[in-house]
Amino acid sequence: MLQTLPRRVVVALLALSVFFPIGLVIYQSVLSGPFFMPAAMPSLESYAFIFDDPDFWQAAKNTMAVAFGMGAIAIPLGAILAFIMVRTDLPGRKWLETPIMIPIFVSPVVLGFGYVVSLGPVGFFSVWFAKFFGSVPWNIYSLASIIVIAGLTHVPHVYLYSSSALRNLGSDVEEAARLSGASPFRVARDVSIPMVSPALLYVGVLVFFLGFEIFGLPLILGDPEGHLVLTTYLYKLTNKLGTPSYHLMAAVATCIIAVTFPLVLLQRFLLKSAQRFVAMKGKSARQRPLSLGPWKWLALALILVWLFVTVVVPVAGIALRSVVSSWGQGVNLLDVLTLDHFHAVFEEQTMIRSIINSILIGTLGGALAVGCYLAVGLATHRQNDAISRFVDYIVLTPRAVPGLMAGLAVFWVFLFVPFLSPARSTLFSVWFAYAVVWLAYGMRLIQSALMQVGPELEEAGRLVGASRARVSRDITVPLIRNGLLGAWLLVFMIFEREYSTGVYLLSPGTEVIGAQIVSLWASGAVDVVAALSLINMALVGIGLAVALRFGVKLHD
Amino acid sequence: MTDKTILTVDNLALSYGSNPILKGVSMELRRGEVVSLLGPSGSGKTTLLRAVAGLEQPHQGSVTIAGRTIYDAAAGIDIPAEKRDLGLVFQSYALWPHKTVFDNVAYPLVLRKVARNEIVQRVHAALKNLGLDHLAERYPHQLSGGQQQRVSIARALVYNPPVILLDEPLSNLDAKMREEARAWLRNLIVELQLSALVVTHDQSEAMAMSDRILLLNGGVIEQQGTPTEMYGQPQTFFVADFMGSNNIMTGRIGDIKGGEARIDLDNGVSVWGLRRTNAAIGHEAKAVVRVEQAHLADASGHNRAEVDLVTSMFLGDRYEYVFHAGNDLLRAWGKRHEAPGKRWLELPGDAVWIF
Repeated sequence: MLQTLPRRVVVALLALSVFFPIGLVIYQSVLSGPFFMPAAMPSLESYAFIFDDPDFWQAAKNTMAVAFGMGAIAIPLGAILAFIMVRTDLPGRKWLETPIMIPIFVSPVVLGFGYVVSLGPVGFFSVWFAKFFGSVPWNIYSLASIIVIAGLTHVPHVYLYSSSALRNLGSDVEEAARLSGASPFRVARDVSIPMVSPALLYVGVLVFFLGFEIFGLPLILGDPEGHLVLTTYLYKLTNKLGTPSYHLMAAVATCIIAVTFPLVLLQRFLLKSAQRFVAMKGKSARQRPLSLGPWKWLALALILVWLFVTVVVPVAGIALRSVVSSWGQGVNLLDVLTLDHFHAVFEEQTMIRSIINSILIGTLGGALAVGCYLAVGLATHRQNDAISRFVDYIVLTPRAVPGLMAGLAVFWVFLFVPFLSPARSTLFSVWFAYAVVWLAYGMRLIQSALMQVGPELEEAGRLVGASRARVSRDITVPLIRNGLLGAWLLVFMIFEREYSTGVYLLSPGTEVIGAQIVSLWASGAVDVVAALSLINMALVGIGLAVALRFGVKLHD
Repeated sequence: MTDKTILTVDNLALSYGSNPILKGVSMELRRGEVVSLLGPSGSGKTTLLRAVAGLEQPHQGSVTIAGRTIYDAAAGIDIPAEKRDLGLVFQSYALWPHKTVFDNVAYPLVLRKVARNEIVQRVHAALKNLGLDHLAERYPHQLSGGQQQRVSIARALVYNPPVILLDEPLSNLDAKMREEARAWLRNLIVELQLSALVVTHDQSEAMAMSDRILLLNGGVIEQQGTPTEMYGQPQTFFVADFMGSNNIMTGRIGDIKGGEARIDLDNGVSVWGLRRTNAAIGHEAKAVVRVEQAHLADASGHNRAEVDLVTSMFLGDRYEYVFHAGNDLLRAWGKRHEAPGKRWLELPGDAVWIF
């Protein structure tokens, strides 16, 4: 709760931070050249160019295939996983809760790279598999592989939402069905799943637009056979024309936003209608888990196979690749073991800088971002007025903008605004882009912490004579300390994981590991990429370990 | 308005969206007086209290405390809650879990920039008043419900607000403690000569604790008066029904004699009672008689009827008899166990109200 003036300042800064970059993208898309060129005129030629480009349409088709395919795989698997984890007597449920979340925290570009070194034509698993069976039945570079991997790695997103919906579902409605004579599986089919269907619909939309924004996987896996999606098409536009074709990039970005933004609004609408279902939450007595009988071992095996494919295979591949000099058929592991890649990383200034920058942006930057999110959260806390509703929409908007484009837009902002340009080659520009891209995520963390504070605790403060600002300082913020710590740790992990947002902001001084990997991958420096990927995963892992140590919930 | 008036609410109205909650409520609280806001849930009693506190936004009317206007829709005055200088004891106590008992009580004084040594002295005095002196360094979660309530009261009193507001102060205590706390709270208010506005939904709590009761119904004051007036002379059916345990029967007016009327009840019984309705002869009406007023009689007589005693229930300090009369279940209290069978039941004429 802030006083009127600081509140308006916070909201104005927020609106500027979100709408100015996006506005710039849309403005750029209707110019004939880069906006800073005097010759640039208002024109629709950029749209004419991309709509005329068969590659654009191929990329759009692939994007649709990825988005739908991903949903078709992730949604049923995620829903089943949620039901098994929340409602059944699966052995080791408690133990599995954390590993299930890991795919969310591994950078997709790292994951993609992991699949290349594990399952690629000369990958570790491919080589071993071929040794026993003669050949490998999969082609990691096909579009189908991209879809399957994207689908499998998005299962946790679906799991997250459907499991929390299932937990919210009072057991009384299920017990009523049991007493009316329904078998456990009928209960799942006729009561539980239909009652969480609003959540499934919501997550369906989420997965669909995540499919639209997917970048790291198709960048790495789609490259060898030339499978483009819209984001990678955007990324490759520069190579295609040889000159920075900002207006074309902006046009592609605008096309993507034109699809994702309505989806974000639809999602918000769905969330509101889904909340109506939550209202019938019954008294959640201790639930007796559904007995799976012998099936539980099959269920466990399937979950372990999934974890093996989505976590162990890529992560083990990277770990192994980072300590071998080369790999292929008939190579003896012991002959090629080496720490040279790490030496190479720690000998080069840019690499060291990117590691230090990544740590800085996760720790200090994360804290600063949480501070900003908190300021926005307090500005709208318990004030259901026009400003709060406006902030709601501002917060949603960046979700519709994939990180790659947000990074590009922020790059332009720092190019365009005179007094900001000195900051372009500092870490501040990267931090700013990260903070805007993850605004919705961070705000959800802050808001759910703020919601934990009983309104009467704040009202009591007002009554005894504290102003709104004073109540925020002395009561609200101290009460959500733990929530803020948790938010900081989660933002740390997300910032370490981030790769696409920094791609266009990469310059001497602003290197971060994720963007560095994307750039090195293009130059084919596989050895260094492997070492950096492992370091990146280690950073995320440290964040995860600390978060678990402090009992931070990885989801709400 | 006399000079003893400390809180005046005039024609206060408040809506949530298009849903009116308070429809023009006026009331006064005099110095050293306890007034209860009583009513069923949804009657607006808590909203009225919160509007006085500055936590809800009315759109019409005015509120004055100790001669200072803190809200006036017409004049555009709306003093924020923190500047109203009121004490509020929340239903949930609303103790800040991150502060010790001492810090909870000291916070209002810290905000008023009271000197440190004076804070220590005043907080300890307040805690001592409430028998909490030894708990100063504890945190709220280490206290029992009753202790938390006392801390909450200490916090609301420590800066000597002219009026103290209590929102369902006893509802979080268990039934047995509630009666003790009621006596204790009334005693405290009288001893410290506080002016208090109390919200409650329990009529016996309201009668026990307050000098006057305001009964709210659907956003308006249905009736106000002393507890004896409210209980003994209800002006409307709602008040009669709300204030006690009643036998309620429907029927038609059979005869009218000045302030009295005869009602011919649907269950076949005819009784005389005090007329509180303008309904003419032949029109529908309701008869209300308190359960403790109905009693067994030996033989027929005025306002007596022969009814079927179905069962006697033992309530500890008395028996409750349940009768069948037509389709109605009637109740009365007595000292002895009575066997089922036909009995004469008297509904005394001065205790029957006809609405």
